[in-house]
Amino acid sequence: MDTSSLLLITMATPLVACLLIAVLPLKLPRAVFEAIHVVSIAVTFLASLFIVASVFAGAGSVEVIDVWFQVDALSAVFLGLVSTVVLLTGLCSVSYIRFDSREGRLDASQVKRFYAFFSLFVFTMLLVVTSNNVIMMWVAIEATTLSTVFLVGSYNTKISLEAAWKYLIVCTAGVAFGLYGTLLVYANAADIMADPHQAVFWTSLVPYAAQFDSALIRIAFVFAAIGFGTKAGLFPMHTWMPDAYSQAPSPLSGLMSGALAKCAMLVLIRFYILAVQAVGPEFPQTVMLILGAASIVFSAFALFSQSDLKRKLAYSSCENIGIVALCLGFGGPLGIAAALLHCIFHGLAKALMFCLSGNVAMKFKTSNLEKIGGIVQVAPVTAVLLGAGLFALSGFPPFALFLSEVLTVISGIYAGYLWLVIPICLALTVVIAAFSLVFLRSVLGKAPDSVKKKDVGALMIVPEMVFIALLLWFGIALPAPVISGVGSATAIVMQEDASHLYEIPVLGEVLYAADAATQPIE
Amino acid sequence: MSAYAWVNALGGLLIVTSTMVVLARSVKKSAILYALQSFVLVLLLVSLAFATDSEVLFMWSASAFITKVVLVPGMLLFLQRKLGADSQDLGERLSPFKSITLIALEVLICFAAIQGVDLYTAAEVKPALAISLAHFFIGLTCIVSQRNIVKQIFGYCLMENGSHVTLALLAPQAPELVEIGIATDAIFAVLIMVLMVLKIYKTTKTLDTRDLMELRG
Repeated sequence: MDTSSLLLITMATPLVACLLIAVLPLKLPRAVFEAIHVVSIAVTFLASLFIVASVFAGAGSVEVIDVWFQVDALSAVFLGLVSTVVLLTGLCSVSYIRFDSREGRLDASQVKRFYAFFSLFVFTMLLVVTSNNVIMMWVAIEATTLSTVFLVGSYNTKISLEAAWKYLIVCTAGVAFGLYGTLLVYANAADIMADPHQAVFWTSLVPYAAQFDSALIRIAFVFAAIGFGTKAGLFPMHTWMPDAYSQAPSPLSGLMSGALAKCAMLVLIRFYILAVQAVGPEFPQTVMLILGAASIVFSAFALFSQSDLKRKLAYSSCENIGIVALCLGFGGPLGIAAALLHCIFHGLAKALMFCLSGNVAMKFKTSNLEKIGGIVQVAPVTAVLLGAGLFALSGFPPFALFLSEVLTVISGIYAGYLWLVIPICLALTVVIAAFSLVFLRSVLGKAPDSVKKKDVGALMIVPEMVFIALLLWFGIALPAPVISGVGSATAIVMQEDASHLYEIPVLGEVLYAADAATQPIE
Repeated sequence: MSAYAWVNALGGLLIVTSTMVVLARSVKKSAILYALQSFVLVLLLVSLAFATDSEVLFMWSASAFITKVVLVPGMLLFLQRKLGADSQDLGERLSPFKSITLIALEVLICFAAIQGVDLYTAAEVKPALAISLAHFFIGLTCIVSQRNIVKQIFGYCLMENGSHVTLALLAPQAPELVEIGIATDAIFAVLIMVLMVLKIYKTTKTLDTRDLMELRG
C-alpha cells in the first residue's frame, strides 16, 4: 500500500468511527463503543507513524486529492505528535470515562456521545495538520471548536456549560480573525496569480509571497496571529483555556492542550512563513516576540496563584505556547528548531500531566490542590509519575523539555535578545516554584483519611508510563529520525535548502550527529 | 450611478443595518434585522457581480440568500420560539449612544487602515472594503458589549458577514468552493451555538452572561 492511500486511511478512520458510534443503538454495551474507539485510535496511530517515518526518511511529501492534502516534513512533525497524543490520551479516556460513568457523572448516552465526538475531534485535527488548502485549514480549525464544545460541556453542569460557552464564543470569534487573515492572503494571491484556483493552496502561495501587498500582508498576519493564537492559547486571547481545560474530562484536556493547541500553532507557522517571505522577518518576528513574551510572563504568575491543578496546567499551556511563539520571534534556524521541538515535547508532557490530573481526580474526587495531599501514600505509582511530570514540565534534565528550553535560550542569545532572555528565565523560575509547591504539598504532604490506598488501574497508568518514557528517551538520546525530521521542517519554515542548516552552530553539529547515527554500519 | 457606486452605497447600508442588529433588544427583532442586513449583502454581491462581470458572484449571492437571509435567521427565530418570553429583553452592557459612538469610531479607524492597501481589485471599492472590515469589528463589539448570550451569536454572524464581503470585494473570481466552505462552516457554528444556548437555558434558566461568571478566566 502506498503512503497516499495510507494517508486517506489515517484521515478516514476516525470519521468512520465517529459515524459508526453515532448510528449504533444506545442499548449496545459500552464495550462496543470502547472497542471502536480503541481500534480507531490504534489504526490512526500506526498509519500516521508509517507516513511520518516515510517523510522523515526523505521519501518526499505525501499528497492526496490533487494537492488538497499534503504531509511535508513540517506537517509530519505535527502528525506524529497528534497521533501519539491521540493514542495515549484515548487509552486513558477509556478508564476515565468508565470512572465517570460509575460515579454517575455521565449516563450511557453521554458516554456514547463522548466517544463519537472524540473521533470527530481527531478527524478535524488530522484535517488541520494535513491540509494544504488555506481555506480548508481555517475550516478545520473552526471544526475542531465545533467538535469539542460538547465534549468540554460533557458533564452538563452549570460551570461545565459556562466553560463550554466561553470556549465556543471566544474561539469562534477569535478564529473569525483567522478567517479574515486567510481571506486577505487568498485575495492578495488571487490578484497576482494567473489561476485564482491555485491561490487556495499554501504550496502555491509561497513562491508568490514576495509579490504580496506588504500593507495587506501585515494586516493579514496580525489577524492570523490573533485568530489562530486564540486557539493556541496565547495571551491575551487565552481566557477560554483555564475554564475549558478545568471543566473538560481530564484526558480530553490533555488532548486539547497536547495536540489541538499545536495544530493551531502549525497553521500560525504556515502564515508566519508567508509573512516572512512577503515583508521580511522583522514584522512577523516582532509580533511573535510580543505575544510570546507576554504569554510567558503573564501565565507564570497566573499559574502560581491558582489553587486548582487543572487550571495551573492550563496556564502552563499558555506559558509553553508562549515559549513556542518566542522561539518563532527569535527566528533563525535555531529558534525555529527550538519552536518545533518544544511543540513536540510540551505536547507530550502536557497530555501526560492532564491525564495524571485525571488519576488525582479519580482518587481525591477533586482537582482543588488545597484538598489534595499525600498522593505518594494513597497512589504511589501516580505520585512517581506526577513528580516526574512536574519536573519534566519545569524543564529539568534529563527530560526532553530541558533540551528545547535550553535551545530557546541559546537561540535568543544568538539572535541578540539577551535583554529579553533574562526576564523570561526569571519568569520561568516562578513556574518552577509553583510546580515545586505542588510536588511538596500534594505529591508529598499528608493524605486525607477518607482516601483509600489503591492506585488507579493499569489502563490509565500504562499510557502515562509511555509518555514518561518518551520524554526521557527524547531528553537523553533524541532519535536520529526525529532530529532529521525537525531539521527538514526547519528548512521548510526558513524556506532554505536543508543543507544550509549544517552550517548553523549547535544545530549543524546535532544534524551531523543524527546523520552519522542513521548511516549503515560497514 | 455605476455598479461600483452601488457597491459602495450598499456597503454604507450594511453599517446602518448592522448597527440596528446591535441595538435591537429582542431576539425576534434582531433576527429580522439580521435577515434584512443579509439581504443588503446579497444586493451588494449582485451589484459587484455586474461591476466585475463575475458569474461566480451571482452563484454566491444565491447561496448567501439561502444561508444568510433564510437559514440563519430561521435558526435564530426557532431559538426565539424555544426561549419564549425570556428572549424578549436581551439587555446590553453599553448604552445605545455608546454603542453608536464606538461603531462610528471603528468605521473611521478602518477607513484609515484601508488607505494603505494598494491592490488592483480594491481600487474601486475602497469605501466598501473599509466598511466590510468595520463590519467585522462591529460584530466583535456586539459580542463584547452584550450581556445576553443570544446576542453574542448575532455578533458572530456580523463578523462572518464582514469576512464574506471582504472576500467578495477582493477576490470576485474566487472559486465557488471557497465560499461554500466558509458558508457551511458558519451555518454549523450558528447551529451549534443555538443548541448550546438551549442546553444552557435548560440547565441554568438564564441567558445573562453575568450569571455565567462562576469561572474566572
